[in-house]
Amino acid sequence: MIDQHEDPKFEQWLEDAARTTYHAPRTTPREEMWARIEAARRNKHVVELRPWMRWAVAAAAVMILGIGIGRWTAKPAGDSTGTSVAMKDAAQPSAAAPSDVVYQIAATQYLSRTEAFLTSFRADQGGNRGANLRFARQARDLLTTTRLMLDSPAASDPRLSSLLEDLELVLVQISQLDAGQDGGDADFITQGMNQSNVMPKLRSAIPAGPVPARSEGAL
Amino acid sequence: MDESQLIARVRAGESAAERALYDAHVDRVYRLAFRLAGDDALAQDFTQETFIRAFDRLGSFRGDAAFSTWLHTITTTVVLNGLRKVKRFRQRETDIDDAHDIGTTQRLAEPDLKVRLKQAINDLPEGYRTVFVMHDVEGFTHEEIGAALGVETGTSKAQLSRARSKLRVALSDFAGEWV
Repeated sequence: MIDQHEDPKFEQWLEDAARTTYHAPRTTPREEMWARIEAARRNKHVVELRPWMRWAVAAAAVMILGIGIGRWTAKPAGDSTGTSVAMKDAAQPSAAAPSDVVYQIAATQYLSRTEAFLTSFRADQGGNRGANLRFARQARDLLTTTRLMLDSPAASDPRLSSLLEDLELVLVQISQLDAGQDGGDADFITQGMNQSNVMPKLRSAIPAGPVPARSEGAL
Repeated sequence: MDESQLIARVRAGESAAERALYDAHVDRVYRLAFRLAGDDALAQDFTQETFIRAFDRLGSFRGDAAFSTWLHTITTTVVLNGLRKVKRFRQRETDIDDAHDIGTTQRLAEPDLKVRLKQAINDLPEGYRTVFVMHDVEGFTHEEIGAALGVETGTSKAQLSRARSKLRVALSDFAGEWV
């Protein structure tokens, strides 16, 4: 029995017309594509870390960098009774205000945490529902800090401000992942990150030196 | 050599087997990507991404379904996600262009049937268009479409039916072509 909406003549015509005219592909460029696939796979890092290992590595890195910044910022013993030259240097008007230093340290620490999080998120694509929930929760935590950073003097730097806005967008998307969604949405977010070069920008914004580990709550 | 042996050799790291598996499936993947994207560069990107993911994740292929079904699931995921990103990006550009065009008027020529058909298919909702292209244009069965898109076979049939209905309305000016 033919459904009232069916029209065999139309369907046959449509099929023929669409096959011959709609986005008719050319011959498959198989050699060009294969060369690029091989190159991409050759250049891909094959280090596979389990999620808990990634976080352990990130935490260890932050700890090591924290120790570094501790040594870097610690004043030598007896500095309070130091020479008048040292006191004069500290009083120079060119020196950064203490509050600026606090914001810079907080920004560096926040950017490092965000980089570790996004690196882990990207590496864990296609993760299960539990992973989606975990990433969403962590993204919400970082989102709060991001918004505080955007409202702080640290955001007076236009480059940092632009980066924070990009990060806010990415974190909002991740925070909306839920257990019912498949990996497609995570892929979509990652593609967006790649397109807007968020990771390279983020990495270049983090100073090469040690990262402070004890600035939590500075903002 | 049957495909399961080929897959086992790929898992064992044989690059010649990878190439053989690629050769066996690349045409259909590329054709589907091209039909959905309508752009050669995008279709090539999506095809490459599909095979890179497939080789990386071959360990998770359990063999419950045909390899081609599994591969087409990856293809449709890659293509549809990629197209959503492109659409969003292009929409932003269009918004900017529209802002520049305020105050100007355009008169479009009456498009011919080929152009109207293409436009009508492009205007279908994403799910309808995907099923229509896979079934009517590329010849996938409803079972294959259901497996690739993660929907029931009945859903695929219903979406195809709705897609055809919408196209018949959109192309009603040209009814003489098929009556």
